[in-house]
Amino acid sequence: MDRRQRIVRVALVVLALAGFLISFYLTITHYRHLVPPCYVTSGCESVLTSRYATILGVPLSLIGTVFFVVMFYLGIALITGPPKKVMRAYELLAFAGVLAAVVLFLLQAVVLKAYCSYCLGTEVIALSIWAGSLVVASSGDGGAIDEAGSPPQQ
Amino acid sequence: MPLPIRDRRRLAQAETRCEGGSDSSTDCQAEKRLRRRGRSLLTWQAAVWAGGSLVLILGTLALVFFTGSPPTETATLPPVAATDITYGPAGAPVVVVEYADFQCESCARFAPMLASLRANYGDRVQFVFRFFPLAYHQYGMVSAQVAYAAHLQGKFWEMHDLLYERQKQWAGAADAYPYFEAYAKSLGLDMSRFRKDVNAQTTKDFITTQEAEGSKGGVSHTPWFTVNGTTLVPNDIGDFEALIDAGL
Repeated sequence: MDRRQRIVRVALVVLALAGFLISFYLTITHYRHLVPPCYVTSGCESVLTSRYATILGVPLSLIGTVFFVVMFYLGIALITGPPKKVMRAYELLAFAGVLAAVVLFLLQAVVLKAYCSYCLGTEVIALSIWAGSLVVASSGDGGAIDEAGSPPQQ
Repeated sequence: MPLPIRDRRRLAQAETRCEGGSDSSTDCQAEKRLRRRGRSLLTWQAAVWAGGSLVLILGTLALVFFTGSPPTETATLPPVAATDITYGPAGAPVVVVEYADFQCESCARFAPMLASLRANYGDRVQFVFRFFPLAYHQYGMVSAQVAYAAHLQGKFWEMHDLLYERQKQWAGAADAYPYFEAYAKSLGLDMSRFRKDVNAQTTKDFITTQEAEGSKGGVSHTPWFTVNGTTLVPNDIGDFEALIDAGL
């Protein structure tokens, strides 16, 4: 695994952590019955209190939280050297994540005509994770890196 | 994670050859190196997993404990003036200031709490309402004008409560003004004066001045509360009561 791959994989873990923090914050506000304040430059309260904010009673933010936790740990597995199955799962989940992000962005832009800064943040993160997963997939090695960051020597 | 297959194979071959052999042989030294390398690799991987989990747990705990908790920063907002819209005695030991937008859903959620506080503490605490209409709310400004026009006829708090109680009704309407007129009529306002005051430049100036002063003082969202100058980001009515009780 080369230096570029290592940097991308660490960045993927950091992105998943950021996505988790945003999604988990929104989940807490949902279950504590807090309506996020109305910010000067945003319409987040309109988005987060809309009927699209939950699916069958489950807040989208909770689904996002679970998604980013899974991506966080899969990202760590990518750093410590994943089996091919983990890499494949990461690529598939990253693709699913970006699809969901596109749908949610369109809901804001077309249906609600209001943008939630938190939601936009997670959507950009999902997009970045997907882009990063393509870089990881391009490496095609899936192998471990050792403590010095270089492939095991013969 | 185990050693790569090639290293495991070498290790197995070395183990076979080293059984009962000399420690100084090349293969036995290689075996030791591989064992050390395997241990080191496992330690490093365990550290990455444990470190990652620790960061995740700390982030979780921080959010759980600090979401909605009141900060203690001091606001630099204008002091209560004679022109302010108030409820409760002037010179009270505790002053609660709210910057709000009538189309803001979060403000509407807090409105019943504030009404309850006014009922329970209105004789000892002064409540101040300041306009902070948000530009992206279609009826943020006009609803503020309506409330100010009601204030000029001594019915601000009644209109305030009506606007929040029925926010979903007018905020989603193609034209909210007929609703505002209906509310004004239900409060028994002089309608010709009401219509004149709603559209008066002095009304608009009053609102935009309060909004500008709020922005200058650091108000970035609504509702924005201060209790005796301390900014409060409340979860519920108990957060208000704790600060108010401490000040009385």
